[in-house]
Amino acid sequence: MRRVVQARGGGLGQDSCEDVLQDVLLAIHTKRHTWRQDAPLRPWLYAIARHKVVDAFRARGRRIELAIDDFADALAAPQGPDPLDGRDMEKLLGALDPRAADIVRGFGLRGETTADTAARLGMTEGAVRVALHRALRTLARLRERMIE
Amino acid sequence: MNTDDLIAALAADTLPQPGIAQRLVWSLPVALAVCVAAFVAFWGVRPDLGAALASLAVLKMILPVLLAGLAGAVAIALAHPVEMAGRRWAVLAVFAAVLVATFVFHLQRGGLSGLVEALSISSLWVCLTSVPALGLPFLAAILWSLSTGAVLRPRLAGAVAGLAAGGASAAIYAFYCDQDAALFVLPAYGTAILSVALAGAICGPRVLRW
Repeated sequence: MRRVVQARGGGLGQDSCEDVLQDVLLAIHTKRHTWRQDAPLRPWLYAIARHKVVDAFRARGRRIELAIDDFADALAAPQGPDPLDGRDMEKLLGALDPRAADIVRGFGLRGETTADTAARLGMTEGAVRVALHRALRTLARLRERMIE
Repeated sequence: MNTDDLIAALAADTLPQPGIAQRLVWSLPVALAVCVAAFVAFWGVRPDLGAALASLAVLKMILPVLLAGLAGAVAIALAHPVEMAGRRWAVLAVFAAVLVATFVFHLQRGGLSGLVEALSISSLWVCLTSVPALGLPFLAAILWSLSTGAVLRPRLAGAVAGLAAGGASAAIYAFYCDQDAALFVLPAYGTAILSVALAGAICGPRVLRW
């Protein structure tokens, strides 16, 4: 996916590409139910990625046209050095309420399991799952507003 | 935040997201209830309903419901990327073409003056305002349900959602409306339903973005 975003969104610059990639991943996650299990996965992934890349260009006040076929070349695209940090995501986490941000970081940065987080914060495992789910949805929504 | 960390956090979230169908199951009955309550309070059933249901006027309820179903199917397909809506579009187009053809047929029989005469009644304005008003709860329910999907063409999806909502509300309004002339029903209901579709097209890009 990183290569797809870099190939299509080259004009955005390295750092922005990583932000867009994180957008794409977030969108794939929150919209995963719109993929039907008997449908091919790749076109669906590309459609989501394309939508987000176009959004990113639009946010920067430029218009581009992307044909889905172009993605076929994506794997051959040169891969530059990639700083894997997304700057935007850090801003977003700051906008979440501290506990939700802490839960997301717990899973992401520290590789905690549901049980670890639950024990650390004194919550039930079910509550942790729901809190994580809500936090990710809020992230997706905040991100949308940021692009606007 | 590192991308790999984000992936780890995303992978940890295993709760299912409510799908479009699930949201429709919740929201449509609510919209229907609101609509029927408003209908009973402000409009009321026409006195000769029994006779109307036994005549051709029953088509005033059946056809809009059919339209709502067909347009709804297209709207749901539009909220799934890569889903081919071709066949659903075709059915909807054939349906619309038959309605237009029926209108043209009646227009040729009645002439332009017949059309003007049929539309020169106060019921016209009642129809043109009532159908959109009754359609708003449906439009809200459908757009809210679609917003959980991944709509790639929000204006189009909004318009089709409006078509479905307008169809549903026109069917309910038909229980009040006592004008059964084809030269009145086809243009008046058609315009009213299309105005709901216009409202959907306006709201779509705002409500369906993701």
